[in-house]
Amino acid sequence: MRDPEDTKVLPSTPVERLRLYAVFGIFALGFLYVAGGLAYRQLVQTGDLKEQSDSQSRRVILRPPARGRIYDRNGFVLVDNRARWSIKADLAALQKEFRAEYLRLLAAERARQAVQIDTERVMELARVNVLQGWLNKVWFVIDENQRTTTKRPMPAKATPLDPPGERKVNIEDLRKHLRERRAMPFTLVRDLAFPVANVPAGPEEGVKAVARFIEQFPVDGPIRLESDIIRTYPYGGMAAHVLGYVKDSDDLPPNVEDIAEIRLESLQKLRQTGKTGAAGVELSFDHVLKGLSGWELWTKTSSGYNQTRLKYSEPVQGSNIVLSLDLRIQRATEQALAEIKDPQGVPLPAAAVMLDVHTGEILSLASQPTFDPNRLAGRITAADYDEVEQAGAWLNRATQGLYPPGSTFKIVTALAGMRKKVVDWDDILECGASYRVGGRDFPEHEPVGYGEVDLDKMLAISSNVWNYQVGLRAGPEALAAEARRFGLESPLLETTDGPDAQGRSYTELPYAAARGLVVPDREYKLRIKAGPWQDGDTANFSIGQGYLLTTPLHMAAFSASLARGETRTAPTIIHDPSRSGIHAGSSPIGLSQAQLEAIRGGLVRCVEEGTGRSARIQGLPVAAKTGTSEYFKKGEKAHLAWMIGYAPADRPVVAFCVLVEGQIDTNTWGGKTAGPVVKQMLQAWADTAEKSGQAPPR
Amino acid sequence: MDQNRQGARASYVVLAAFVAVWVLLPSAVRRFNREAFVEFQAPALHLLGRSRDLATFFEKKSRSAEELAAAGRDLARINAALELKLKTMEDLRRENLRLRELTRYNVPAEYLSVVARVATRDSSSWWQRIVIRKGRNDGIRPGAPVIFGDTVVGRVTAVHLTTSEVDLVTSPGFRCTAYLEGDDQNRIVLVNGVAANSLGAAKARVSVIPYDYLLPAGTPARVTTTGMGGVFPSGLTLGYLDGGAYATQVGNFKESLLVPSRDLYNLQEVSVLVPIHQTPGEALMQGDQFQ
Repeated sequence: MRDPEDTKVLPSTPVERLRLYAVFGIFALGFLYVAGGLAYRQLVQTGDLKEQSDSQSRRVILRPPARGRIYDRNGFVLVDNRARWSIKADLAALQKEFRAEYLRLLAAERARQAVQIDTERVMELARVNVLQGWLNKVWFVIDENQRTTTKRPMPAKATPLDPPGERKVNIEDLRKHLRERRAMPFTLVRDLAFPVANVPAGPEEGVKAVARFIEQFPVDGPIRLESDIIRTYPYGGMAAHVLGYVKDSDDLPPNVEDIAEIRLESLQKLRQTGKTGAAGVELSFDHVLKGLSGWELWTKTSSGYNQTRLKYSEPVQGSNIVLSLDLRIQRATEQALAEIKDPQGVPLPAAAVMLDVHTGEILSLASQPTFDPNRLAGRITAADYDEVEQAGAWLNRATQGLYPPGSTFKIVTALAGMRKKVVDWDDILECGASYRVGGRDFPEHEPVGYGEVDLDKMLAISSNVWNYQVGLRAGPEALAAEARRFGLESPLLETTDGPDAQGRSYTELPYAAARGLVVPDREYKLRIKAGPWQDGDTANFSIGQGYLLTTPLHMAAFSASLARGETRTAPTIIHDPSRSGIHAGSSPIGLSQAQLEAIRGGLVRCVEEGTGRSARIQGLPVAAKTGTSEYFKKGEKAHLAWMIGYAPADRPVVAFCVLVEGQIDTNTWGGKTAGPVVKQMLQAWADTAEKSGQAPPR
Repeated sequence: MDQNRQGARASYVVLAAFVAVWVLLPSAVRRFNREAFVEFQAPALHLLGRSRDLATFFEKKSRSAEELAAAGRDLARINAALELKLKTMEDLRRENLRLRELTRYNVPAEYLSVVARVATRDSSSWWQRIVIRKGRNDGIRPGAPVIFGDTVVGRVTAVHLTTSEVDLVTSPGFRCTAYLEGDDQNRIVLVNGVAANSLGAAKARVSVIPYDYLLPAGTPARVTTTGMGGVFPSGLTLGYLDGGAYATQVGNFKESLLVPSRDLYNLQEVSVLVPIHQTPGEALMQGDQFQ
């Protein structure tokens, strides 16, 4: 039996008890401290800690939306989206292979008795080797020319089409990817339909490459097929200057309403590269076309790879827009321009515009040379950029090209003269071989002169001397005022209307000429320090030469205004069936009916028997004025061929302007060069109008 | 009691040792063992298939003479119709050859057809797969398409000595390109099997359907092979679009489900189209051929 005293464990003396209680107290305090701290973190700091944890363990991936489509006025798709099939490697799933290759390379390095082994470099090499192995397999499957006649097929070889390194894993791309987008799959082939960068495989070959991969490459494994949306321009370079192109962008707004519950700012965000407008309508209407990004909320592993998708939201496609262009007229316009070539067979730089006289809607707007936006829709290479640059194809000559309008300006001189009452429609002026102004003979373009010339005849034969006389009588102020009255110095395509404009002002086609437009006067000449204004300047001004600079679009708008008997036309690229036809700032032209009829008659005569005969169409009365102006190209004189006008002459529906930049060695004349283009444009319009039941008079 | 415990412990030890040995074995040995096991059970699968055939034979033998006579009449009519069709097809074949020569069109892949009886079906929720009674000995090769009539059944995924495994169209391992009936532009869509839940009917997913594709009115839209991928001949039926699930729109594309055109679980016989020339995909499936 034990003594009961033996079971007594508590100290009996006060000192011992005090010591024990002190220890208890210290423990109790410690426990309270821990419990208090825990409670503080659990109850007070919960939100902050959760956010911190989330930000460390979760990420948001933003997925770009499909852009809206662009249609022509008849509903034909001008810009669309197509499926881009990419082949990507899941780096997380390849970890084992990377490791095995790394160990193999390391063993090889040790076998070589390398003094110092750079493990980082070896790891990088291992990754490249593994990815290259998979890329070889991909090419082996998608390359139709690959034959498997041998028992042990070799990896696909590059074909003559392939740029160097096309079938190689780009080490720089891989480094960048691992640095910035480790969680995302690495792209091995960016676009299966265009497996060789920017060399179109052709519609059928592209689809075959996709189909071969889908059907022949193993479904399971680290190599995935992904499809996303890419911009496509079904008609290639057609209307490229209007449509523009797109470029890569990471800055696409997410679908914020969906994502409101997630504190986006505290999370790591990975953005898949989307597209934003870079030129043309793609740029000016980017806010309408771009849509909203989708998002995915993922947990991530300690190595930074994605683990589990927690939530997601689909992207929202951008809105569509309808342009005023008519595909058939646009195509005819570009085909006609392409037929004008220099002696070497290279198409001459040119521009053409056709407008609806009443609404100002642009039916066709072409600029040559052009570019294929499809080649810029993926990744713009330096070679592509240089090619477009060297061809001078970035410039939209219709809206940005600044040219002296030449004899097409003679209509303005005539208007100014009649409005200032220095000449009337039935006045006859004597027009010799030249006209002396300030001690210098200003020539007629007919060596023997035209003799007696009235307004009607002047417009038909484009007499210079008639205009010298009228211009000098009216004075440069009157000429400038008349040009400004028709808006030749005012920027066009600026509007607050249109899709989703919400009252803000914008330009429908980016970088349309605004500052470079020149309607010269005395102040202008002093401002550019070219000395005081001379009568010779007035003579030059009266025939559309000298300092005067305008764009083909301005001259087309002028033609439309003239056709309606008004002073202003506001061209627009957006189709709106309910458009009123009222043009801001427009007023009646201020001439008598007889004067207007005389101008119209002269313009019709120009086409029927004058300088514009090459634009004549049987049964369709056309009113037009040709022009051949001079400009300097590389220090030497060359000619610009112009033709402006409207049709049908008696009931105007469309107005047009064609400009061709002649070269030093080309024989370029208004009627002869620009006339055939006008003819083809009008024929295309007439056919279209006939088909749609608005048959033009024939 | 102690003996029992010791026995149980010993069995755990043996199991653990077996697992350890299995894990540590070189992959070639493991693959050899797996193959050996498949070959070991192949006779049983053959026997199972043959006994089912025998049961079907006796079931048919028990039919009355009148029934057999009626079936014979029907077959004779079908034969007559088919003979007529055969003649038309021959004309079309000649015309086709002529046009190909004119356009210098590449001759599509050629196949040898091997008819095989179905041995067994594995219709678990994960693997939509059947086993057929033809294998390497009969010239079957991995990746070959498997059809019944003009309908795609699936494709061969594994070939053994006397049997082969076929992933059905509804298997997650099946993937091919297709055309949709009514799409004038013949744009390709992607068909791949989806893992069905245990009680649901097996289906496949049709994705990357163009946004402007409209279902033809009336009948369900047929989904056919493109013949562009180098595996399946063109124009074979994969199934029909499930109209009910059609409205889903993902991004710029639509998705739908594919209803296989045949009851894949009641197939008795299939044809394996073995390509005369080896395809790159086939070389990849053999794995060790790639350095």
